[in-house]
Amino acid sequence: MVTPSTMSAADFADGLAQMRSIVGPEWVFDQPADLNTYRDFYSVLWGEPEEKQASAAIAPASVEEVQAIVRAAGERGMPLYPISTGRNLGYGGSAPVLSGSVVLDLKRMNRVLEVNEANCSCLVEPGVSYFDMYRHLQESGSKLWLDVPDPGWGSLIGNAMDSGGGYTVSGYRGHWEAVCGVEAVMADGEVLRTGMGALPGSETWQQYRMGIGPCLDGLFRQSTLGVVTKMGFYLFPQPEAHLSASVSVYRYEDLDELIEIVNELEYGNVFNGMPGVGSPVLSQESPIAMAIVPEPEEMNRMVRETGLPAWRASFNFYGPEKVIAAQWEHVRDRFAHFEGVTYHAEEPVRFPLTPAQLEKAQKPRYGIPSLEIFTVGSQGYGKFNPSDGHIWFSAVIPRSGKGVIDANRVMRQACKERGLDVFMLAPAVTCWTRSFVLFAAVPVYKDVAKNRHLRESIKEIIKICGEHGWGEYRCPPAFMDAVMDAYSFGDHKLRRVNEQIKDALDPKGILSAGRYGVWPKHLREGRGA
Amino acid sequence: MIRRDMLKWGALASALAGAPAAALARAGAGLDVLLLDTRFGEGAAVDMGAARVLTFAGDVTRIWYDHLDRAWRQPGFVVGGITGADALFVLETLAQQQGRKVVARNVLAAVDGIAPVSWVIAPVHPSVLA
Ligand SMILES: Cc1cc2nc3c(=O)[nH]c(=O)nc-3n(C[C@H](O)[C@H](O)[C@H](O)COP(=O)(O)OP(=O)(O)OC[C@H]3O[C@@H](n4cnc5c(N)ncnc54)[C@H](O)[C@@H]3O)c2cc1C
Repeated sequence: MVTPSTMSAADFADGLAQMRSIVGPEWVFDQPADLNTYRDFYSVLWGEPEEKQASAAIAPASVEEVQAIVRAAGERGMPLYPISTGRNLGYGGSAPVLSGSVVLDLKRMNRVLEVNEANCSCLVEPGVSYFDMYRHLQESGSKLWLDVPDPGWGSLIGNAMDSGGGYTVSGYRGHWEAVCGVEAVMADGEVLRTGMGALPGSETWQQYRMGIGPCLDGLFRQSTLGVVTKMGFYLFPQPEAHLSASVSVYRYEDLDELIEIVNELEYGNVFNGMPGVGSPVLSQESPIAMAIVPEPEEMNRMVRETGLPAWRASFNFYGPEKVIAAQWEHVRDRFAHFEGVTYHAEEPVRFPLTPAQLEKAQKPRYGIPSLEIFTVGSQGYGKFNPSDGHIWFSAVIPRSGKGVIDANRVMRQACKERGLDVFMLAPAVTCWTRSFVLFAAVPVYKDVAKNRHLRESIKEIIKICGEHGWGEYRCPPAFMDAVMDAYSFGDHKLRRVNEQIKDALDPKGILSAGRYGVWPKHLREGRGA
Repeated sequence: MIRRDMLKWGALASALAGAPAAALARAGAGLDVLLLDTRFGEGAAVDMGAARVLTFAGDVTRIWYDHLDRAWRQPGFVVGGITGADALFVLETLAQQQGRKVVARNVLAAVDGIAPVSWVIAPVHPSVLA
C-alpha cells in the first residue's frame, strides 16, 4: 500500500482508526482490492512507481462527518483528496494528485436539497450525479433543464469544480458559470458559505452570486482550499422548441469573417445555443478529427474537387418557436454576402420530446444524461474507444479564424513530429462563454515506455502552446505543474498568489495537495515528489 | 462476500465462456438479470432459465437508468452479462460506486474489433450484501 510520505506508519494507522470511529468501519477503505477502484484507469503513469494512488478512502455521510475528518486529518497532517463522484476520466479519475493521499469520497452525500421552480435553480450535495438530478426533475414533474457533460455519470459539483462543460445554452453549459452559492468545509474544519449564503435567513443564495466583498466562489474552482459540501446551480427553464442549423462557406479565406459574425451574433444574444465551427472538407477521414489545414490554394482545390464546404458554422437556438425562426432568419441574412453560401436547418423540435424523438436524440443537447459516448468505438470513429483510455488536451485559443488555423496546424504538426495518435481534434469547442478551446483526445496505454513517450511529448506540446499564448483550461494531474508553469506572467505571480492563499487557509497543507500546481509549503520544493 | 456465492458466480462465469452463441445457451441460473449486448447476436429467443434477460446494443444508458441504478440501491441483485468490453467498462465503473464488483469475467473472441466479455457483477460491500 502507498502511504503518505509525510506520516509515519503508526500515525497513519492511528489516523485511519479515528476515521473509522467517525464514519463507521465499513466506510473506510484500505484494502488493495478497494483501493484499486480509486486508481485512474486512464493514468499516463499506469503501473509505474510514480502512479498517483490513494493510501485509503473514506466515505462520510454528512457535513458534520466531513468536519470531523478534516479536523482529525489536520491534527496529524494527513493529506486528504476530496472527490464527488470521481469520474474525472481523462483528467485524473478518482486518484489524488499527491500519491498517498486519503481520498475523501463524497458519494454518500447524495441529496438533492432543493429545486426551486420559480427561481430556476437547485442546491445539491456532492454525490448527486447528473442522472440523479435528471431523475429527480423527471419524477417531480419539473419544467427545468439540466446541462450535462457527455457522460452523465459524473456529478454536478465535481464537474463544475473542474470547470467542465456541456452542450445546451450559454451561461449554463460552462458548468462553473452556472454555479450560484458554495458551502465548503475549510481546512480548519469550519463551514464557509459564499455569496448570499453567508447572510443568515437569506432566501437569495441561489439568486445573487456575489454577496458582499470579494466573490469567494472562485476559491473553489480547480482548487486545494476546501471540501465542497453544497453547491447551488442555475437551471434553464424548458424551452418551447429547439432549432439546429448551419451555414456553409466554400473558401479558405472565409473563416475569419465567418467567426467574426458568429461572435457578433452570440455576444448580441441572437442565438443562445452552442455554436460550432468545423471544416467538412477536412473531416472526410474522421468526423471528429479535423485534418491539418493546408495552404489556401490546396484547400480551395479540395473544395472544388469534392464540392464540400471549406468551413461550416453551426447554430443552436432554444426558445419560443416563432422567436427562434426569426433569429435563424437574421443569422442567414448576416451571411448572405458570402460567395456560394449554403444554409441547412433541421426540423424544429418541440418539447417535451416524444419517446421516439428521445430515442434518436443527441441527448446532451437536450440536457439528458447519457453514456452513449462509450460506444463510439463501435460506431466508425476510427480507433477512438473511451474504454481503452485517453487524455484530453484542451487549450484555450483565440476566438478567431487565425486562432483556429494556427492552433490546428501547430497541434497537428506537434503530434505528427512526436508520432502521437490523435483520435479527436476539434479546434473550436465552445462550452465556455466567449472562448474557443482546442480539444485533442490522445490515447493512453498500459505500456510504460509508450506512456513515458506520451508524457514527454505532452509536456513539450504544453510548452509549444504556451509560446503561442495558448494555455490549457484543465488537464490530468501528471501535467498540472507543467500547465501552471506556462501561466508565468510576473515571474509566476499567479502561482505564487495561489500559494500564499493556500498557506493562509490551509497552513498544514492537508487538502488536495498539488492540484493544478499549487502545493502546500512542506511539499512545494519537490512538488510532491 | 461469502465463499459459496463466489464459487457459484465463478462457475456461472465459466459457463458463460466460449463463443457468444454457445454462452447464451448455457447462461441463466443464479442471476437476477442477464444483460445481452445484441451487437454480438440476438439473445431474445434463448431460454435463460430463472434470469430475466435485458438486451441492448452497446449503449447501457437505458438499462442502467431504468433497471440497474434502482436495483443497485438495494441489497443483493446479481447481474451477469455477455456484452462488449466497452459496455462492461461503463457498468463496472458504475457498479463500484454502489458497492459492487466484477467477480468473474471471461474475454471471448473479438467480433468487429470489440471483444465480447462474459461477466458477473455482484454486491461486495456490507451495505448492499443481501
Ligand atoms: C469519453 C469522455 C467524454 C467526456 N466528455 C466530457 C464533457 O463533455 N464535458 C466535461 O466536462 N467532461 C467530460 N469528460 C470528463 C469527465 O468524465 C467529466 O468531467 C466528469 O463529470 C468529471 O467527473 P466527476 O463529475 O465525477 O468529478 P470528480 O471526479 O468528483 O471531481 C473532479 C475533481 O474536482 C475536485 N473535487 C470534486 N468534488 C470536490 C469536492 N466536493 N470538494 C473539493 N474538491 C472536489 C477533485 O479534485 C476531483 O478530482 C469526458 C470523459 C470521457 C471519458
